[in-house]
Amino acid sequence: MKLWSSFKKELILASRGFYFYVELGFAIVLMLVVLLAIPENFRTRTVEYLHLDLPSQGQELFIDALLEEDPGSSPETVELEAGGNIYEARLIQTEEQEIYLLDSEEAVRELADSERNPGIVVTLDSQNRLFYRYYLQGYESARLKNLLSIVFNESSEVLQQRLEQQEVRALTTGFEPLSDRENTLPPIVAFSGSLMGMFVMAAYIFLDKKEGVIEAYAVTSSSIGIYILSKVFVLLLTTLISGLIIIMPVMGFTINYGLVILLLLATGFFASVVGLLVASFHDNMTKAFGVIYLLFFILMVPGIAYFIPGWDPFWVRLIPTYPILQAFREIILPAGDISYPLYTSAGFLAAGAALFVLTDIRFKRTLRV
Amino acid sequence: MLKRIWFIFIRDIRINLREFMTIYMLVIPLILAVGINFLTPSINDTSVNLALVEGENREQVRYFDDFAHIELMVGKQEVEQRVGARDDVIGVLSSGDSYYILTQGNEPQSVVEYAKLLNVLYESDVQLEDARSEIVEFGRTVPPVKKMLVNILLLLITMLAGMLISINILEEKVDQTVAAINVTPTSRRAFIMGKGFTGIVVAIVSSITVIFITGFYSVNLGQAALVVLSVTMISLIIGFLQGLNSDDFMEAAGSVKLLFLPMAGSIAGYEFVKGNWQIFFYWSPFYWAYRANDMILSQSGTWLQLVLYVGIIAVICAIIYALLAPRIAKGLQ
Repeated sequence: MKLWSSFKKELILASRGFYFYVELGFAIVLMLVVLLAIPENFRTRTVEYLHLDLPSQGQELFIDALLEEDPGSSPETVELEAGGNIYEARLIQTEEQEIYLLDSEEAVRELADSERNPGIVVTLDSQNRLFYRYYLQGYESARLKNLLSIVFNESSEVLQQRLEQQEVRALTTGFEPLSDRENTLPPIVAFSGSLMGMFVMAAYIFLDKKEGVIEAYAVTSSSIGIYILSKVFVLLLTTLISGLIIIMPVMGFTINYGLVILLLLATGFFASVVGLLVASFHDNMTKAFGVIYLLFFILMVPGIAYFIPGWDPFWVRLIPTYPILQAFREIILPAGDISYPLYTSAGFLAAGAALFVLTDIRFKRTLRV
Repeated sequence: MLKRIWFIFIRDIRINLREFMTIYMLVIPLILAVGINFLTPSINDTSVNLALVEGENREQVRYFDDFAHIELMVGKQEVEQRVGARDDVIGVLSSGDSYYILTQGNEPQSVVEYAKLLNVLYESDVQLEDARSEIVEFGRTVPPVKKMLVNILLLLITMLAGMLISINILEEKVDQTVAAINVTPTSRRAFIMGKGFTGIVVAIVSSITVIFITGFYSVNLGQAALVVLSVTMISLIIGFLQGLNSDDFMEAAGSVKLLFLPMAGSIAGYEFVKGNWQIFFYWSPFYWAYRANDMILSQSGTWLQLVLYVGIIAVICAIIYALLAPRIAKGLQ
């Protein structure tokens, strides 16, 4: 009962403050950015510079193979500038590539160097077989260079035929990937909503410390624990509303909102308790901010792993944001694994509760009149 | 006045050093720079992760190791379990005389195609020694991902320096020291300016050190210092505005959140938006700062270009300052 009335009081106070509306306004801006500025699917093409040092018949065959995706079309003539020189090129666009066909190896070399894209020169070796010379920047991984070295040893027809014959078995079928727009939601919601709680909670506490609210609590029958918890609940409500503002217009009613709410509350609770715990060790906002600053950077690392398939080292999986991002992703995936967000929520609630007990003890010691 | 600003700055530095705060703010970006050094080789070496049965085909393991990351499991079942885990690992398992690719079913198509290609090349006995190719390199060692992370860190440093200024000012306001200044010969404006210097010094020292730690030894330091200075103007305005116009930490926290959006948007705009669409980001000083940093870190620009970018940042900052000067003046009262 005390908690409820304390929560109501905090909510009224928060609704009169600037932050409450910034949070909601920010969520609306993010939602508009996701809906209007982020395309449904990014269409990125890699750029390559190519020179065919081959007899004209070989050149024609090569170009026909490149135009296979769009038969009947012809390359567009464009001008490229590098090192103060203008080079004429024929541009061939495929689904994934922009290939600039140039008249000289020097042009390929110059452009690859100045524009920092790969350049390829195809010529014939002493046995009249195709020979490839790659112009690379130097930072490409050894494994990639190895693959480039041999990938054209087999003729493309033979390679294509064998690739089609290669058996692939899947453990599960019917997986529908997320669109690029949907894929941006987990990091946005996790970093803007759940994790900002850390910073905001610490700010809340120092504001009350300065205003003497903490001292006032000493002469009431309410406990410090209830005071802290009511603050956390206000923050959770803000996180929940702002999270839903971002998610609902993008995902509509296609996802399980029970899970979304559970995960937002569990992760928001954990982050705000971490913020409280950090605040309990410092006597002013500047010092607490320093620690939260470092924590925030560490927590951002799984965001990199989220966007790079194949880069998923073990230590990244130990950072709390990793399961948060994965759990949000599972919720919005059409056939996502329900158990993962449930376990993640349970884990964060348990960790948050344990840290809350610790924080309560710390505050009982440090928040004195 | 300058003497008093200097005195306040020195006093601020002494106080902050006593509390280890300035040292902390200086050290954290350096730790992050070391973190970038640690992260980027592993990100740059990202390839397909393959799981195979240990001892089944050693020659195949050796072959794949030249092109992909390999994990060896004790049996077929363990490979299936590994493939079924959350990350993208592809299994290569035997079936009679040939090998099949085992996927979880949710991997990106490019990852599956890479694994298929490797197995086809192996089964076709295409060896590295038989390569009909030559690789010519331009000798660049810093991968784009590292340049991007360092550039983001440089922007964050200046942004966080602004936050440090605002929190410093706010604490003085809350402690009512600003009011106490009225009874001293130091003006409030000089007092606030003096407090701002701490953030500027933190931004410049941290940025230059980050550039060195991350291995960009050969960048033009004069150019780098110029960009850092211009971006610090943004931090200064941010810091003053937040500090002077916020009544409490909650308001400052809200402003910080609002400022992250144009910064993140400018970085995303520069990296992902192609061609003429970038014009939509020209209003943002963060966009020009990121672009100038990118030019310096890639060592690809001229002084003229740099002066143009810095000039644009200065003009935008001047416009922002002119628009918000009344609010800053009000905050000083």
